[in-house]
Amino acid sequence: MKIRASLIVFLFCALSTLSVLAQADAEFVKANQEYAKGHFKEAISGFEALIRAGQWNANVFYDLGNAYFRTGDFGRAILNYERALALERHHPEATANLQIARDEAHALEMQPSWPERYLQLASVNHYSIAAATAFWLGIFTIVVLIFARRRSATRIAISICCLLVLAVAVCAIFTLERGSKGEALAIVTGRNVQARLATADTANSVLALPPGSEVKILSTRGDWIYAALPNNLRGWIPAKNAERVRLL
Amino acid sequence: METSMRCRILFVAVAAVAVAQFARADSPSVTAVLSNSEAVVGETVELQIKVTGPGDARPPEEITIDGLEIHATGTSRQFEIHNFMTSSSVTYNYTVLPLRAGRFTIPPQTVRAGGKVLRTPELILNVADSSGSSSGARPSRGRQSQPVSARDLIFAELIVPKKVAYVGEIIPVQIRMGFDPRVRPRLIEPPEITGQGFTAQKLQEAGQNSEALNGRSYDVVTYKTAIAAAHAGKFEIGPVRAKAQVIVPRTRSAPRSRGRSPFDLFDQDDPFSDPFFSNPFAQIGERREVDIKSDPVALEVKPLPPNAPPSFSGAIGNFTMTTDANPKSVQVGDPITVTSAISGRGNFDRVNAPVVEDERGWHKYPPSSKFKQDDEVGLSGTKTFETVLSPNEKKETVPVLAFSYFDPAKEQYVSLRSDPIAITVQGGPAATQNLVASQPASPPSATANRGASAIQPTVKPRDILYQLTDQPRATESFAPIFTRPVFWGIQSIPLLALISFAVWKIRRARIDNREARRIHALQHEAAELMHKLRRNDAPPRQYYAEASRVVRVKTALASSSGGIDPNMVDAETAANTFKLNSDSRDQLRRLFEQSDEWQYSGAHNGPARISPENRREVLELIENLK
Repeated sequence: MKIRASLIVFLFCALSTLSVLAQADAEFVKANQEYAKGHFKEAISGFEALIRAGQWNANVFYDLGNAYFRTGDFGRAILNYERALALERHHPEATANLQIARDEAHALEMQPSWPERYLQLASVNHYSIAAATAFWLGIFTIVVLIFARRRSATRIAISICCLLVLAVAVCAIFTLERGSKGEALAIVTGRNVQARLATADTANSVLALPPGSEVKILSTRGDWIYAALPNNLRGWIPAKNAERVRLL
Repeated sequence: METSMRCRILFVAVAAVAVAQFARADSPSVTAVLSNSEAVVGETVELQIKVTGPGDARPPEEITIDGLEIHATGTSRQFEIHNFMTSSSVTYNYTVLPLRAGRFTIPPQTVRAGGKVLRTPELILNVADSSGSSSGARPSRGRQSQPVSARDLIFAELIVPKKVAYVGEIIPVQIRMGFDPRVRPRLIEPPEITGQGFTAQKLQEAGQNSEALNGRSYDVVTYKTAIAAAHAGKFEIGPVRAKAQVIVPRTRSAPRSRGRSPFDLFDQDDPFSDPFFSNPFAQIGERREVDIKSDPVALEVKPLPPNAPPSFSGAIGNFTMTTDANPKSVQVGDPITVTSAISGRGNFDRVNAPVVEDERGWHKYPPSSKFKQDDEVGLSGTKTFETVLSPNEKKETVPVLAFSYFDPAKEQYVSLRSDPIAITVQGGPAATQNLVASQPASPPSATANRGASAIQPTVKPRDILYQLTDQPRATESFAPIFTRPVFWGIQSIPLLALISFAVWKIRRARIDNREARRIHALQHEAAELMHKLRRNDAPPRQYYAEASRVVRVKTALASSSGGIDPNMVDAETAANTFKLNSDSRDQLRRLFEQSDEWQYSGAHNGPARISPENRREVLELIENLK
């Protein structure tokens, strides 16, 4: 009896999931059809509905970026290409279109520091897996060393190597997460945005930020965000004019 | 003889000094001073008439002046020795009470001294009414609102080098504040230039020095700043205001017990004639807040002339410009950083990046700037701009940059233009053919590299790539993997494996430890038994029992399978374990039989002692079990 009830619950869950997936597929297809017809605003609505429903994948963000590009909203186009690349590092279409959109918008990019440039060979996820693997391998080697009757030079060397790899991976994670392309990366979506010296529209301007420019959010105060800007500058920009790349 | 000569010389010297002093004392003199030459109605002022010389002077008994009440208050005598010179004086004190405001003259008074008639100098007393409007220009001493002679202790001045300037022109300004070192000033409000119609930069303290002004020493602090007029017209810059705490002699509302210094003969109104300054320990000073104020300075501001060049952004001063570009060899679309440094003197806050005169065929990005100032107020320095330009087509030079400023010395606009900087641009159409706008966009390959674009003489791709219609089933997360619960859940697998491994190893270690202890015990037992067998004094029953026991123990120790119980070992097992030959095997068998025989059949069935041959034989057998 219990087995039958469990089976029914499982089947119900599976069917519900399939139904949701089918619905998402339908919405995705419909949004693409709207795009093909040139109804870019409708396409944007469709893609954004998918994103609101939690259907996050690189292709949806890429297509949404294309739709925004067609409407001339380069800031949001760049934002969505960046999101596609945040989900999938090697997305050639998003990379190509991002470059085109940046050229069109004359968007400014944050310059990564020299450690970031070298560490960008791999992603944070890669470094996380490397760190976990090195950690456990090192721990196992140390435990074996503890229980072994004789100290083996090979085992000691392996454990030291593992700890070094762990340290490098942790540093890499920290550097990349706190760096110019890290979790605080945001894209300017507004037009005629000026970074200012203070939280007032009348404050002196630090830098004019074309749409699609990258900034790194340092802190938030009310309706303003304090951000690191391209060219190693810092300034306040209205919070409504920038969006974080990473959705939470 | 010599001593009497010395005494005579000394006597003559003393006599000479006495005569000289007498002669000096014989010429009396008189002077008169007011403790303050300015007062308010109702405030008493002290009048002192000092007669130096013979002590039989007769001062005026009554001094009558309309508007002033003057009463004698006492006499004091002083006797002084200074540089071997003696002098005596008598000071006659009077109080003067003004009854009304005005300028009063105390006429010369007649004093008889040493048979002579002397006259005091004429004295002037300015009396203000009690509301505070003085009839004179100098601040009065003793008023609570105005500290004691603050103007003499402290001064401030504003130095503006120009009387005529242009709107927006930066004018360096100095503020000098002097303090008498004895007042030990503490600035509680820094100087501030008041006034309207101009902006002032932050004050920078430029230095401190000592200066003598009007015979007095001052510690002078100099501040530097710069001002810029916001619009044309005539302005008053200043006054500069500041507030400081200084130490001044305590103010007395009642008549002073001691008057003005009798040596302030010329009525200089020296605040430091107060005894506090001559002997700070004799009277306690008080710290008081004083307002410091300078005189304002007039400035005429003229508007800038019309017809400013297009690249003029408001810079006024005198500047030079240098330009450089890097790299000088690029592909079409590559960025070139053009660095332009504007150096000189002027309003750098209005110095903007030079203007690109001809932007055709170039992408221009917003410039960045940094300023390195050469002085305290940022009036002179170098402002460096970095402008990123990206060629859309083949170019041979970087576009000319133009910067204009107004030179107030020449009273005209000056335009600076950069020299052409040669560059090499590869991979694009000729400069004359601007195909970017006209050529239809072609979808570029996503994997197209820069080398391909260099070979193919096409413009930079303008259209984006196609839509992707494949929607992956799995949804993805922006959160890094190390923030996801599944990542930490997976870590439990190696953790469990580690714990299992550790438990297994510990268990193994414990088991190994038990086996080792058993082996050790058996070895110890075998050694003990061998020791007993060699002693040669044991009865046969015990001897054979111990001998068979040694064989069993040795067999258990030698057993390759390990863990064999010595009690379970019989002669065959032992013989097999040690791979004995038939003789030794028989010997061993006999040993076990004799042991059993002695053990179970009793001592009476055999000899009471074992022969030495038997003992040797048994010992040899056991020792050969290896």
